[in-house]
Amino acid sequence: MTDPMSEPMTGQKMTGQKMTGQKTTGQKTTGHGMKSPAEGNGPVRKQPLQLGGREHWRSLDQLSGTKEFRGWVEREFPENATELSDPSRRGVLKLMAASLGLAGLTACQRPVEQILPFSRGVEDTIPGKAVYYATSMPLGGVSTGLLVESNDGRPTKIEGNPKHPSSLGACSAYAQASVLGLYDPDRSQAVYRAGNRSSWGDFQAFAGPHFSNAGDGAGLRFLSEPISSPSLEAVRSHVLRKFPKAKWTEYAPLDSGAAKAGSEIAFGQQAGPRLVPRFAYDKADVILSLDHDFLGLDEPTTIPTREFSRRRRVSSEKDSMNRLYMVEAQYSVTGAMADHRLRMRLGDVRRFAEALAAELGLLPPTLRVLNNGQSKEDRWVSALARDLKANTGRCLVVAGPRQPAAVHALTYWINEALGNLGETVSFVETGKAEKPSAEAGRGTNTQPLEELAAEMAAGQVDTLVILGGNPAYNAPADFDFTANLKKVANTIHLGLERDETAVLCQWHLPEAHYLEAWGDGRAHDGTVSLQQPLIQPLYGGKSASELLAMVSSHENLRGYDIVRNYWLARWASSAGEKTWRRCLHDGLVPDTAYTVSRPKVNAKAIRAALKLAPAATSDGIEIGFYPDSGVYDGRFTNNGWLQEAPDPMTKLTWDNAALMSAATASALGVEPGDVVSIEAAGGETMMPVFIQPGHADRSISLALGYGRMQCGQVGQGTGRNAYLIRTAAGSGFLPGAEVRKTGQKHVLASTQEHQSMEGRPLVREATLEDYTEHPNFATEAVEHPPLLSLYEEPSYDQGHQWGMAIDLNSCVGCNACLVACQSENNIPVVGKDEVLRGREMHWIRLDRYYAGDPEDPQAVSQPVNCQQCENAPCENVCPVAATAHSPEGLNDMAYNRCVGTRYCANNCPYKVRRFNFFDFSEGLAEVQKMAFNPNVTVRVRGVMEKCTYCVQRIQEKKIAARADGRPLEDGEIKTACQQTCPAEAIVFGDINDAESRVSKLKAQNRDYAMLGELNTKPRTTYLAKLRNPNPELT
Amino acid sequence: MGQIFSQSTDRILRVSAITIAACVIGTVSLLAYLGRPEITDAGYQPRQPVPFSHKLHAGNLGMDCRYCHSTVEFSAHAAIPATETCMNCHKRVRAESPLLAVVRASAANDTPVPWVRVHKLPEYAYFNHQAHLSAGVSCVSCHGRVDQMAEVKQVAPLSMGWCLDCHRDPAANIRPAEFITKLDWQAPRDAAEIGREIIAAKGISPPEHCSGCHR
Repeated sequence: MTDPMSEPMTGQKMTGQKMTGQKTTGQKTTGHGMKSPAEGNGPVRKQPLQLGGREHWRSLDQLSGTKEFRGWVEREFPENATELSDPSRRGVLKLMAASLGLAGLTACQRPVEQILPFSRGVEDTIPGKAVYYATSMPLGGVSTGLLVESNDGRPTKIEGNPKHPSSLGACSAYAQASVLGLYDPDRSQAVYRAGNRSSWGDFQAFAGPHFSNAGDGAGLRFLSEPISSPSLEAVRSHVLRKFPKAKWTEYAPLDSGAAKAGSEIAFGQQAGPRLVPRFAYDKADVILSLDHDFLGLDEPTTIPTREFSRRRRVSSEKDSMNRLYMVEAQYSVTGAMADHRLRMRLGDVRRFAEALAAELGLLPPTLRVLNNGQSKEDRWVSALARDLKANTGRCLVVAGPRQPAAVHALTYWINEALGNLGETVSFVETGKAEKPSAEAGRGTNTQPLEELAAEMAAGQVDTLVILGGNPAYNAPADFDFTANLKKVANTIHLGLERDETAVLCQWHLPEAHYLEAWGDGRAHDGTVSLQQPLIQPLYGGKSASELLAMVSSHENLRGYDIVRNYWLARWASSAGEKTWRRCLHDGLVPDTAYTVSRPKVNAKAIRAALKLAPAATSDGIEIGFYPDSGVYDGRFTNNGWLQEAPDPMTKLTWDNAALMSAATASALGVEPGDVVSIEAAGGETMMPVFIQPGHADRSISLALGYGRMQCGQVGQGTGRNAYLIRTAAGSGFLPGAEVRKTGQKHVLASTQEHQSMEGRPLVREATLEDYTEHPNFATEAVEHPPLLSLYEEPSYDQGHQWGMAIDLNSCVGCNACLVACQSENNIPVVGKDEVLRGREMHWIRLDRYYAGDPEDPQAVSQPVNCQQCENAPCENVCPVAATAHSPEGLNDMAYNRCVGTRYCANNCPYKVRRFNFFDFSEGLAEVQKMAFNPNVTVRVRGVMEKCTYCVQRIQEKKIAARADGRPLEDGEIKTACQQTCPAEAIVFGDINDAESRVSKLKAQNRDYAMLGELNTKPRTTYLAKLRNPNPELT
Repeated sequence: MGQIFSQSTDRILRVSAITIAACVIGTVSLLAYLGRPEITDAGYQPRQPVPFSHKLHAGNLGMDCRYCHSTVEFSAHAAIPATETCMNCHKRVRAESPLLAVVRASAANDTPVPWVRVHKLPEYAYFNHQAHLSAGVSCVSCHGRVDQMAEVKQVAPLSMGWCLDCHRDPAANIRPAEFITKLDWQAPRDAAEIGREIIAAKGISPPEHCSGCHR
């Protein structure tokens, strides 16, 4: 029953050495030699075996071979996994009694089941046939176009809209998981007045006279998230015309404010604020990112990933690829993709940018020297400058949202000097694109949150209408928003949740989810997307437009009419209806993109701005604030899928932590799991410590969005609140924090060691240069004797033969596939306790490996799903034949036949089988069951499950093609992970068709079968990873 | 040492052990036999809220199955018709009949008619009507002569073994597309031979592996 990977340690060593003793290219491809870890550096104690080329490791525990890690390797499930979570005798007896009772009942009689057809048929509704609607999801000030699958009137699955510029068919984990948010039973379900249940009627009775008596609106204030919706803009300008003295504030904790402020510096106060940079990552040969996680969380869309990955697609050793330099403090997925990564404190990035500008001749040469002229940073600056200059017009320098406006302005200047404006960088006019009248209203009647907070503190605000957002939780700590909110006489909050802000307001009104409400919004390039609801509001929620219409005109306008009338007024009346229907169908309004502008950088102003605010250097500990890969800014805290999706780098679930380097931790005298108190800017927060290899020293990174006080059951009590120490000035990072050990401990559920496979080159990578010399390095990484099977091997040369190719060179490890799979295949959420026991159920996991210096490693991510082995080790050991092979090469799983021996999981060398230790899907509220895919069985306790290559999608397309009497086309069947992958790293298809995309990818010389030396003949194979380092820096 | 048990004790023990074993085996076998879908499921004929007669509509009046079950060729499900479909005729035909009170109420109040489900496969089996009809399997193969049923009854066991019997050798149940809903169709020559010709022409290969039906 022990799998070949799980032999005792000594045996493993022997095998490992034998298997990889004759290394060929592997050793040459080593980027960093294994350095001996520094003494006293936390858990790092000894070096692992040099098994094959570059050593890849998942965690510091693996690197030092601790007992805890051995436990994860040697057992499929940890020792206590088979035990009940609550092994009390009483609980066991109750369970037994219940199962006996149910077993008896079910046998008695066939239950009478009803079929309830419509009384009046609904057009285009065919039971059992999914319908797809185009809509859009607003997040981070940008609307991403989506195609949402509706099964019998229930939206069940989110996909990207291939026609939409912000999606191009892909979407993020946030969008994928938003369907779970729709069916969240903890969403706000009723109107509340002063904490008591009320009704919309009561609110209208209050709002009518209240807003009629508001006069010119002198004491009236509105607070919303940044608005990108043209129709909402129109409603807003109507409201502000009606109440000319009222003011409007837009606030979101994560925004692109620094980039816009940078334009203001670079292009002047007139034109600047309306100009937003657009980067063409696909046109750049060399990219320098200054703390900008553009492949991860710092961009609201997945378009940068799509563009970047295009330039990582290498079909043979003759191809070229782009080069990415990353300068950052926290290890981001962009840093993992980088060819060169420089760990640097956030506060030092600006000095680095100045030195680069000086090297390029933009700033005085005195700024050129960073440390002593010889340090790693200094070498970087000169090498970078040369590389950038050699690629004039084909390079790109970007800065992240945590960096101050001056750094952004400086990058614009550098880009201009490098001839990138109009090539890889363009600036778009966001202001003039639509509705000048709304803009006019905006100019005079808006105010920043700081001003609003001051007015509230001074008692000048009589009525505050909060449209979405949760400022009581996420407003800058120095504004004291919570206390100020109590000084406002009338507070009205419209929100999806009864959150921290809702409970402080007199009125709380349930907001309609984006899948329930009509609206529109702008894509990242300005194109307007229509937001079409797929279901009636489940809890009687209303949209912001509907509420504004109610308070300003005392009318119960429907969102549909607001949006439709707005657009019909803009089109010729003869074509209006037709255009509307076309736009609804496509999900976007054509020709509404922002116009590109060719501004001229004002170098003098930038120099002045840099002088005005000299770089703050501090020897203390610096705190950086990051969006969270799961909960974003706190809006998805109650979403189980996102909470349980392991962070791409830390692999943390259900928590945030104080991420720091091992050196910082030992300097502070803390160990992983120690809770530290972080004091900064007059606030204090407590965080557990997590060691992040490659993190900048004397810097701590905190993810936002946790530690919610008023939250649903799922998010309650997860993580700690980082907003407590986040101020307006330090919204990106804060220098000089006091960090103290508290003596408390906190257990963090990181999956980085779960399902560990060990001992062989699982991830294979090389530099582009080595690849040219050794084109077959991926297959040569393992030497093995000729493979023979003891079993009869069937031939798979007839009909469709399904296979998958995953390009490790494009995959950024963003989690979109993981959540898409969870949504498509009804995969349950198990909770933090179960994750700690290794019981997470994800069918596709993203293994993240580090390689090289433990202080400053490179990282690579590898998605692992069921490899659909032709010689499947799981099938031979199943005593009841519950898992068997299909003639199309799929490793089928018949849940109803499975008796739960778990032999298959123990025999799977890839550790991709998941066991239902509990009825995880039982006890769900009725509304949560609406999120299930009706075409996939919801598994019960005691059943093994795993990736099926989305067999339900295969069957659906096969049946459709057969009914049409035509052959299946290549690419017609897309697995859920493939469809949503922003990097297009996953390709699925028929390997029996030599012309299919997957066959062509598998024919490449980078293609390798993971653990292929075990003769499992996996159908999923990987394309080895390449890096393109600068010879000057290696 | 004297014997504690008499000789007959041994015999009693043996006989009772055999009897108990026989009882257990007998009970289990009987239950297994009685629990087979042929016994438990075939013949299921629930009362419907409306005494709708397939015999009258499909048999005597000769209506095509697809007039009401209109989605059967396009979807996994053969939809039960909307009340509207009934009212197309029954607005005029037997418009006052007390037997149709439930249907009229449904149309008037926009509430569904609570039909009782007759044919049901387990939840983990994903049957697809479209796939079977496009291959040329007639309604009659699974549902029997519905055109002769005044009240619909399940005639086939709908068990996995029964499904696989046909999947392994479908020839006898495959017929030309134009006769799919003609329940009384008589093959002009050997039905299996016609079936084999169609199978060859369409390249039909019914799945016999797990994921053909279970997902």
